[in-house]
Amino acid sequence: MPAAQPATSGYAVELTGCTKQFPTSSGETYFAVRDIDLKVEPGRFVSIVGPTGSGKSTILNMAAGLLTPSVGEVKSFGEPVTGVNRRASYMFQQDALLPWKTVIDNVSLGLTMAGVSKAEAHSESRRWLEKVGLKNFADRYPHQLSGGMRKRTAIAQAWIVNPDILLMDEPFSALDVQTRQIMENELLQLWQESGKAVVFITHDLDEAIALSDEVLILGAGPGSTVVGSYQIDIPRPRDLLDIRDDPRFVALHREIWGRLKVEVSKTYESAMAEEGEAA
Amino acid sequence: MRGIQLLLTVIVLGAWEVLGRAGVIDEFFFPLPSDIFQTVWVWVSSGFVFPHLWVTMQEAILAFLVGAAVGLIFGFILARVRFLERLMDPFLQMFNALPRVVLAPIFLLWFGLGIWSKVAFGFTLVFFIVFFNTLEGVKSVDRVLVDNARMLGASEKQLLRHVFIPSALTWIFSSLHISVGFAITGAVVGEYLGASGGMGYAIAQAQGVFDTKGVFAGMFILMIVVLIIDLLVNRLERHLLRWRPVRSS
Ligand SMILES: Nc1ncnc2c1ncn2[C@@H]1O[C@H](COP(=O)(O)OP(=O)(O)OP(=O)(O)O)[C@@H](O)[C@H]1O
Ligand SMILES: [Mg+2]
Repeated sequence: MPAAQPATSGYAVELTGCTKQFPTSSGETYFAVRDIDLKVEPGRFVSIVGPTGSGKSTILNMAAGLLTPSVGEVKSFGEPVTGVNRRASYMFQQDALLPWKTVIDNVSLGLTMAGVSKAEAHSESRRWLEKVGLKNFADRYPHQLSGGMRKRTAIAQAWIVNPDILLMDEPFSALDVQTRQIMENELLQLWQESGKAVVFITHDLDEAIALSDEVLILGAGPGSTVVGSYQIDIPRPRDLLDIRDDPRFVALHREIWGRLKVEVSKTYESAMAEEGEAA
Repeated sequence: MRGIQLLLTVIVLGAWEVLGRAGVIDEFFFPLPSDIFQTVWVWVSSGFVFPHLWVTMQEAILAFLVGAAVGLIFGFILARVRFLERLMDPFLQMFNALPRVVLAPIFLLWFGLGIWSKVAFGFTLVFFIVFFNTLEGVKSVDRVLVDNARMLGASEKQLLRHVFIPSALTWIFSSLHISVGFAITGAVVGEYLGASGGMGYAIAQAQGVFDTKGVFAGMFILMIVVLIIDLLVNRLERHLLRWRPVRSS
């Protein structure tokens, strides 16, 4: 298990000068992201916000070790990341539960694959299912759950292996507003004093500010890079239901949105321009 | 539905019987259903058919087991090792393009009149179906499921067990349905071309003495056997794929 690994040193996630390019079908190269520097200290909650297609998932995949940067270096706790990052869990943008496993077997997966006995893994899973409010759904298959329940299962699946880093790619964007607020609250409760580093990706600036210690703004693609970094000094524990009225929240929101707006409209304009060319 | 289906069967067989008796249909080429069932009954009750059926089943089962096993293993390996897939692709396409029936005479020469020439022939039929379906099944596995399992610490072996095999199972099962039929086809065609026993041999014998009733009886018995086997495959499929949402249709 990741937690059993040697003492921590350095940043939980450290991307230095990372550029990722993809070959396109026309034989050219497309720069998804360029010169990304990202440093996440252990125990910190960092969000990345950016317009669609700006390379947020690409950055997370590099941190996870699922993609290797074309240029640059990825380190985790001082060690270069080769292959998948063993210290990290990943909550994907899409549904990633195994459809042929029941909820409890999905949650147990990380433990059983690490050699924990099935009985032990199941009793640990039950504890987690209780925590995320799914203890009566252990024997269901994923297709028998609602979207929010699937996300809860995914949270349990990611947390049960006790990782030092949590990579979350728009985990709640598919949920309705109410469920989303409940899930955000639950996430904060789990995270508080867990000592885990979180890299959280979202479209939603409100969500980013409410949850994070730091918000990074990613520029418009192609070849986007970090264009702004903001420390969120709203004291914790935070009450997510009222935080949007907090004067500090409002001020930060205004400041960051001013920057993000520029990038979002750039993306929008280039999309319109492309459409114009095509027409 | 069942009622209408039964009614349809009765109408078709009844019309056949009546037209045959009236002399509209030539009884020599299309023997009366009642005569066919009579022959089936004689073959079964006298025990004549069972040794032949047993020979055919042996051939079909061996061809199916070996063909499916080798097809599965090849499919999984080639799907996971891109280099091998690219290397083998033209050869596999070549062999697959070959109409398999032309192999039957050569296998007869190589392996003799016994069961092994039929097993070899059935193997070439089963192997390619299972192989291509497994290859496609493994390659079409959702990327994010693989990534998720890898992030949770899956080794290559665990990926195979927890992700690739279950995910490819729908493809593999659709190929099993076809290949069960093909294993039997392979055995019967092989026997037809030269053998000392088996259903194909029995049908060829009946044909040799212009016993069309015997030919039809042989066909009917084979049909029933394949149906029963397919039913068993269906059972297994339903059990192994029970996690799938029930399609409403
Ligand atoms: N495997 C790939 N091959 C080619 N291009 C890719 C690949 N993966 C991503 N891209 C391109 O890189 C860019 C960034 O993609 P990415 O998925 O990281 O964006 P994103 O910020 O996560 O977007 P969204 O908010 O819509 O999820 C996109 O333009 C995408 O088309
Ligand atoms: Mg994305």
